[in-house]
Amino acid sequence: MRAMTTLAVAAAVLSLGAAEVKAESLKIGIIESLSGAQTSTGRLFASAAQYVIDQINADGGFNGSPIEVVEYDNAGGTTGAADRFRQAVAEGVHIVVQGASSAIAGQITEDVRRHNIRNPGDEVLFMNMGAEALELTGEKCHFYHFRFTTTAPMRVNALVSAMSEEGDLGSRVYSINQNYSWGRDMEEAIRAAAEAGGYEVVDSDLHEVNRIQDFSPFVAKIRASEVDTVMTGNWSNDLLLLMKAAGDAGLDVRFGTTFLDQVGNIANAGETAVGHYIAHLVNLELEDEAWVQDYEQVTGHVPVYIEPQTVNAMLLLREALSDLDFGGEDIDVTQIGLALEKATLEGPNGTLSIRQEDHQIVTPVVVSRIDEGAKYAVDETQWGFVPVKVVSAEEAMYPVQDSCQMDRPD
Amino acid sequence: MARVWQLLLFVLIMAVLIGLPPLLGAGLQNAMTNMLIAALFAMAFNLLMGQGGMLSFGHAAFYGVGAFAVMHLMTAIDRGGLSFPTPLLPLAGAAAGLLVGLVTGWFATLRSGVYFALVTLALAEMLHSLAPHWEGLFGGEAGISSMRMPWGGFIFGQVIEIYYLTLIWVTLSIGLLYAYTRTPFGRLTLALRDNEERVRFMGYDAHATKMIVFAVSATFAGIAGGLLAVSNEQANYELFGTHVSAQVVLHTFVGGSTVFFGPAIGAAIFTLFAYLVSDVSRSWLLYQGVIFVLVMLYAPLGIGGVVMLHLRHWASIPWQRMVGPYAGATAATLLMAIGTVMVVEFLEALFSPHYVAQRRQAETSWPAFERFGASWEPFGILTWGPPLLLLIVGLLILLRLRHRIVALWDEVQETAETAARSGV
Amino acid sequence: MLEFIIISTLNGVTYGLLLFMVSAGLTLIFGMMGVLNFAHASFYMLGAYIAYSITRTIDFWIGLLVAPLLVGLLGMLVERYLLRRVHRYGHAHELLLTFGLAFIFEELIKLFYGDFPVNYSMPAYLRFPAFSLFGADYPFYRLFIGLVAIGMFVLLYILLSRTRVGLVVRAAERLPSMAEALGHNVPLVFMGVFGVGAALAGLGGAVAGAFFPTNPNMALELGVIVFVVVVVGGLGSIEGSLVASLMIGVFSSFAVGLNWSLARLLDLVGLGDWARELGGLMTLTLSSISGTVPFLLMLIVLLVRPAGLFGERN
Repeated sequence: MRAMTTLAVAAAVLSLGAAEVKAESLKIGIIESLSGAQTSTGRLFASAAQYVIDQINADGGFNGSPIEVVEYDNAGGTTGAADRFRQAVAEGVHIVVQGASSAIAGQITEDVRRHNIRNPGDEVLFMNMGAEALELTGEKCHFYHFRFTTTAPMRVNALVSAMSEEGDLGSRVYSINQNYSWGRDMEEAIRAAAEAGGYEVVDSDLHEVNRIQDFSPFVAKIRASEVDTVMTGNWSNDLLLLMKAAGDAGLDVRFGTTFLDQVGNIANAGETAVGHYIAHLVNLELEDEAWVQDYEQVTGHVPVYIEPQTVNAMLLLREALSDLDFGGEDIDVTQIGLALEKATLEGPNGTLSIRQEDHQIVTPVVVSRIDEGAKYAVDETQWGFVPVKVVSAEEAMYPVQDSCQMDRPD
Repeated sequence: MARVWQLLLFVLIMAVLIGLPPLLGAGLQNAMTNMLIAALFAMAFNLLMGQGGMLSFGHAAFYGVGAFAVMHLMTAIDRGGLSFPTPLLPLAGAAAGLLVGLVTGWFATLRSGVYFALVTLALAEMLHSLAPHWEGLFGGEAGISSMRMPWGGFIFGQVIEIYYLTLIWVTLSIGLLYAYTRTPFGRLTLALRDNEERVRFMGYDAHATKMIVFAVSATFAGIAGGLLAVSNEQANYELFGTHVSAQVVLHTFVGGSTVFFGPAIGAAIFTLFAYLVSDVSRSWLLYQGVIFVLVMLYAPLGIGGVVMLHLRHWASIPWQRMVGPYAGATAATLLMAIGTVMVVEFLEALFSPHYVAQRRQAETSWPAFERFGASWEPFGILTWGPPLLLLIVGLLILLRLRHRIVALWDEVQETAETAARSGV
Repeated sequence: MLEFIIISTLNGVTYGLLLFMVSAGLTLIFGMMGVLNFAHASFYMLGAYIAYSITRTIDFWIGLLVAPLLVGLLGMLVERYLLRRVHRYGHAHELLLTFGLAFIFEELIKLFYGDFPVNYSMPAYLRFPAFSLFGADYPFYRLFIGLVAIGMFVLLYILLSRTRVGLVVRAAERLPSMAEALGHNVPLVFMGVFGVGAALAGLGGAVAGAFFPTNPNMALELGVIVFVVVVVGGLGSIEGSLVASLMIGVFSSFAVGLNWSLARLLDLVGLGDWARELGGLMTLTLSSISGTVPFLLMLIVLLVRPAGLFGERN
């Protein structure tokens, strides 16, 4: 009798084991700039994604097993990204996550598109957490790419709306941007919003990316044009040096920026940053304190810069996964894509969702001002981002681009 | 080295290159494709350097131009409906390399030595800073992207197919480069390196000759770039960067520029090394630099040169007495390498932002850090003791054995000289 | 317009003087030893980072003093124990060694300080406007950089032309074997010159790093421009280096603010719109290719007159 029970139990356990062998675990590959100049940003995308995945796994994972996460270092270059993508595919990755550079995102989205054409049934999905070049949801759009961040027109529309309400916009605006796709997107958006915003773009500049050591000639030009506001999409050194040069020259203008919240910027800029504006996706002051504190406990710092938007993106994925059941069998990435299109997330600023036509996230945009007295001080200074206005998703959104011709699987 | 052995070695290497990849995963297959491309690029570079005696610091220019040419052709096939065999795509790279090589070569070869190197540097940098603004030709910062079209029954969708295509091209190209050295013009190239004035006195137009050598080198560099474009289906202006020119210089001299296959060996070692190590360590570029400097200091002929030296004096080397010191030296080098790696990795861990965050959170001001799957105390004897010990012991052994090895090689030289003098 | 010209000239001159601080050492080393030191810009970067560390822990002025000394010491060690060893393999080999060293220095900086810029800046009391021009303040620190460079040039000039040490150095540069025959310790002179050259670059880094961004890329960014400067000025000539630095500094400053293009030029003859339609080279503005022009200049000099403006024909 005992022997029979033991055998029965053994058989049951073995059959369970057999079932386990069939269950395919979801594999996510984070192909990021983990070395090179963009390391600090790349690391943030990775840690934010990992935070949510750990939560999903704590709740039982997906498809009967924990979600596997593999990090790949693309060394900050497109050839590195191409090599790592091939490695990821060979290792069975279903979803690729990346955000630190539009050029690299351009490479990855094309690699994903080509892979999917050549391997029907074995598709890979690309979650773009931070690359804002318009062409990714334009010329280069395809079903398996999802953008979870804003674009130039969204940020500019929000800035214009908030700053004019605060009376800080004025009627004369100067546009200065970097001479590549993002900078040109920004310039176009600034011009396009002029009529609605009631201002005139007095002059504009496109300068070389990350090469200019000395912005004082530009500052001289800005002063000469007698503008009230300077709008710029510059990041890293280009933003810092511009603001420092303006501060050094005693220039009295208001800056409307998009990347002032990059880690280290406020510490570096110091007093010169105070009073200027930034349009970004999340301001911690408006968020639920519980998750901010939990994030700090897990990772060691409050979510900064692009971490909140990445967390939201992964939460949307979680939402999509909860509607799916592959019964422990092979994972169908196309189904994940279709579910992701329908996923929504309620946030303190509004609802997040995905626009079906080009897979652009529909999100409210927050405009903040750098000032003292913010709830969360930044970079260990006395300043932080004080929320000024939450611009609704409808107001901030940009129209679907004609160049996006998406082939749908259904 | 005897003919038979050469042939056997060649067959062995080809067998590995042909037979091994299907057994590997796609990631490694891709790495091997990159290795072949780097090897061809280095061989093309060395045609100019090792044989022609002209050190170029801007070879990325031809590499990049080759890649872009292939991308434009690929786009014409993909979107323009042009009918052209996909396997022949790298020809566009060769053509572009040849054209640009002729033009830039005419200018560059007007000068020699350090000035020549600076001209090549200037040309490459001009291209690098111009490319992102010339969108029609170079596609902005995202570059040009396209897709390989099927041809002749092959889809060219799998990594392994691209690997074999690359293997065929690289083998043919290196074969051509080898044949080049056997031609009278190849001999003339060597003569240019050794004594340009004499070449002129023999009646040749030295400038035109140098220009042709330059153009041939650029052609094969263009093929290498073209192969990269075929593999990645994308090219952007990063390919003109100084680090690309720098890598090929590193590969060539570590492998040995005086030996024909030296650069290929250097390229193969470094690309595989990079692939295997870059996932595990953040400091692999540092290791690469250190190896390069050590080779420059202690093995100026490169790995290939050292191997050649041994092969040439094979008979006269007193192997029985040599094996001991060699084994000891290898062991000592290994000890020093492990010690160095440990120190570098520990330092990297201690100075990383991750550890800085850890310090802020922990109770003690210097908590233990993780490396190699174990925990280490930042100021502990057990942390720094072992690597320093390994370094010192390795160094001492090496210093001791150096004299022995040098003495043995002096013997070898003497034997060779006496043999030469007596006409053996 | 006048404001633009004056500000650009001032900026150009101060930037040029900074370039001079770094290139003076390079041209001195090349003139003396025939070695084009690829690691020279690395000395610049090391100077900035060492000054940063010292400023953080001790004091800014101590940093300015000590950093060049440490870098100079490093330079001497590099010459004595590394360069001298490969001297017998020829100039190409020495070049390659310095190339490898540049690589290693950059990676070491990344190892200890991280891949991103560090916050090295001057103390608050130095951050004031020197004067006001057309309503714009001109920061004092820029003038400070220029003053340090001028002081350095004067000192170097006096040292080389008026002192005994300078005499020996110039003799060793012209005819090393003769100088050795006369009893001077030429290897020591070489080591000293290399060290001084490195120290000058280190001083440049320490001073400029507080104003311009200090990041691991700064060696590469400045390094190629410095090569252009020494080639255009003439390898081995300090005066040439000064003139070329000023030229390139002023040009860069002006070009950055000018939106001239071939299309604009053709506007004068009414072909502007046609040119703009053509795109490509026609619409390239001077500001966007401001980084390319120095290389074009270097190319022209190398092809037409490799000795540069003030160098000797050899």
